[in-house]
Amino acid sequence: MFLFFSAAVLMTGAVSMIFADLLWRTGWSASSTLLLGLFVVLFLLTAIGCVHALCGFVLRALGDPHRITRMVDYRARSLEGTSTAIVFPIHNEEAARVFEGLRATYRSLEKTGHLARFDFFVLSDSTLPDKWIEEERRWCELVRDLDALGRIYYRRRLNNEGKKSGNIRDFLNHWGRRYRYFIVFDADSVMCGETLVNLAKLMEAHPYAGMIQTVPALVNAASLFGRIQQFANRLYAPIFITGLNFWANGFGNYWGHNAIIRTDPFMQWCDLPQLPGVKPFGGQILSHDFVEAALLQRANWQIWFAHDLEGSYEEAPQAMVQNAQRDRRWCQGNLQHGVVLFARGLRGISRIHLLLGIFGYLASPLWLLFLLGFNWALWFKGQTGLSEITVRSTLFPELTATEQAFLIFVICMAVLFLPKVLALLDLLLHPARRRSFGGLAHAAAGAVVETLFSALHAPLQMLWHSKFVATILLGMGVQWGPQKRTADGNAWSAACRAHWQHTLIGLGWGAVVWFLDPFAFWWFAPVTAGMVLSIPLSVFTSRSSWGRRAREAGLFLTPEELAPPPELAELNARMAALEKTGATVPPQPHSGLSQAVVDPYVNAIHVSLLREKSLNPEYLETMTRMGVGKPEVRTLGEKLLTQGPESLSAGEKLLVLSDAEVMSWLHRQAWLRSRDTLADWWQETILSYAR
Amino acid sequence: MESYFGALGIRNRVLRASLVIQVLNRARRRAEAEPHRSTTELAAEEMDQVVTAWYGQVLQESPAGAENRLSTRGRLALLLADMPGQWQEQFLRPGPWPERFVSRMREVYLRAGPDFQLSKMAPRPIHFGPITTFANFSRLPYARMVSIWLLFALLLTTVFWLTHRVF
Repeated sequence: MFLFFSAAVLMTGAVSMIFADLLWRTGWSASSTLLLGLFVVLFLLTAIGCVHALCGFVLRALGDPHRITRMVDYRARSLEGTSTAIVFPIHNEEAARVFEGLRATYRSLEKTGHLARFDFFVLSDSTLPDKWIEEERRWCELVRDLDALGRIYYRRRLNNEGKKSGNIRDFLNHWGRRYRYFIVFDADSVMCGETLVNLAKLMEAHPYAGMIQTVPALVNAASLFGRIQQFANRLYAPIFITGLNFWANGFGNYWGHNAIIRTDPFMQWCDLPQLPGVKPFGGQILSHDFVEAALLQRANWQIWFAHDLEGSYEEAPQAMVQNAQRDRRWCQGNLQHGVVLFARGLRGISRIHLLLGIFGYLASPLWLLFLLGFNWALWFKGQTGLSEITVRSTLFPELTATEQAFLIFVICMAVLFLPKVLALLDLLLHPARRRSFGGLAHAAAGAVVETLFSALHAPLQMLWHSKFVATILLGMGVQWGPQKRTADGNAWSAACRAHWQHTLIGLGWGAVVWFLDPFAFWWFAPVTAGMVLSIPLSVFTSRSSWGRRAREAGLFLTPEELAPPPELAELNARMAALEKTGATVPPQPHSGLSQAVVDPYVNAIHVSLLREKSLNPEYLETMTRMGVGKPEVRTLGEKLLTQGPESLSAGEKLLVLSDAEVMSWLHRQAWLRSRDTLADWWQETILSYAR
Repeated sequence: MESYFGALGIRNRVLRASLVIQVLNRARRRAEAEPHRSTTELAAEEMDQVVTAWYGQVLQESPAGAENRLSTRGRLALLLADMPGQWQEQFLRPGPWPERFVSRMREVYLRAGPDFQLSKMAPRPIHFGPITTFANFSRLPYARMVSIWLLFALLLTTVFWLTHRVF
């Protein structure tokens, strides 16, 4: 690790010296101090990225021996006596996609012959009544289709205490002791059965491993933006992660999903404390994964990246705006790690993971400040009217100041783009991988266009992240909401609302730079162009039709697009079939509530699950606290029948839906009562069943 | 009634019609004894009684005093045994029923999870170091107001410094 980071420091030191020399030649000023300080930090971050790629490339070329899959022959291990839970924590997600992902994973695992060693849990934290009922219905359908009663379970919490980490903790508190390992999925995760089995075998073979994190491949993107991100992930990730795994060397990180975890130490060491102070830094830890990894390592458990295990997938936002929405949540979580950074007893390597995560977002305002500092220097030059005559460089006496500035620019670009070149060279060295991308020419063309797009997208990311950091520091919180992950494209009006500030900033900034120095304007053009073009860029890249055209042109092809693995093929076929039947269309308002009351089967599922829930003393206590079982709930039920669902607030609907006896009573009342005592809405609903 | 049988997944129109007639006959007989009640109401009640009693027979449970529970269990059993798909003709028919249908109806039941093995995770104490003092700074009275004033003072100082020195 020392050598790894020293290489980055060495690069930064050398280039910073050249930059300082250039600033000195043109006359030192306050802006020079600011520029140099920011340059050192920003270049160091870029250099660390570059060293990751460089190290990863070399290791992959030589046959990386640092892989957990290479250390012991794990494939011969038996899973006899082991038990693994596969958990899907969800929160108001698209239920159809969640359960189809689970189906694909289940069927793949079934083919391995090891299904008996695994149980599936859908852990719902959904708060929308319609989502809740849809989840129950789809779960029951899935269980029936797969004949998986007693193998796939569904549990909905009555409150969202602790959010996702609290959801997992609730699972562990109830069933954790039954399972030696658990594998955490995201709502859109899919994994091959073989990969799941291999993860369990790896854990068996490495008794000191507390967690093994796979590297999920982005898949199923349809929009142009989604496909570009997917392509970049598939092409560049292997060399970066190989480099990361090299220095982490058994002290890696946790990314929140697609990872297997040893239950006992996790339960013993990873319950998260409340952070001191008030929001946005104090209180509950939002980005729990990094902290859980740090706590596990503090207790001397290893965490490995199984970056060469294929068959681990996830999906990503399909548009720039949705991507930024996700970043907003992650940003607050990562900045909050600033508090954890100084916690006593953490390993130094855990602090590095936390610090890199923080700078993932802090780098943007620093870059913005650097650019503004550069403008300041331009303004100052114009205001003072100082001559352009520079002193001779002590490092490169033969270079003019312009040539030296260009040299620094070339070095920066090289450090920035070297990883992309290395990723392409890596394809040259691995013929099977090269073919999986459609050949080197297609991959290279994709990398070039991706680089152009990144150049336009990066300034927007800079503005967005800077705004996020600023609002978070000012104490404006962030909600833990679901992400919109469909490829339906953004409307122009929505893009205008999201980007009008970017456009104005781009135009204003460009004008100011032109006014200060027309020559410098062209150097700033890539930055301002991204901002000025943000609205059309956002709209067109969010469109599936553009994603399709790019594919037809052979751009951004990925291995999973060209040869979809059976799990993804099945998932996509089923999702397409569901779309045709309209099953994925957002349901009508109150559809869940109406089904839970009127539909004999949905009501039976719902009431049965509520009754089972009441057998758990903890849940029973929560239900009692909510008011379940009180006569007032029956009164609300009566109001629901006579005045329709609009007459109840969201909280009242949830209360009614949480009361098994009232739900059972409502079902009978809806069907037994004479029509004139029911609201029109119910009469229409009941009649729809006759059709 | 027709809607309810439709909701239960009885797609066979002939079967549905015969079930409706069966229930209506019962309701008609009751109407003679209870002329003050509407026929629709009586028919709905009869339908409920017929269906719940049938659940009781198939599941070998007494409906007395536990109609709600039996009704729920019966509907769930129908769903899990795939009555709408495989056993439509058995619905509301007097026994004996096919062995597979009966065993499926009686055996299947829904579980949200396996048996609990309760435990309690508890966070280990962590000392956050000097950051704790800083994090609690905002709890001090007027901390935010004083901070804003200090920032304003800093801004004025910076502006003065930038405009009154030779760079």
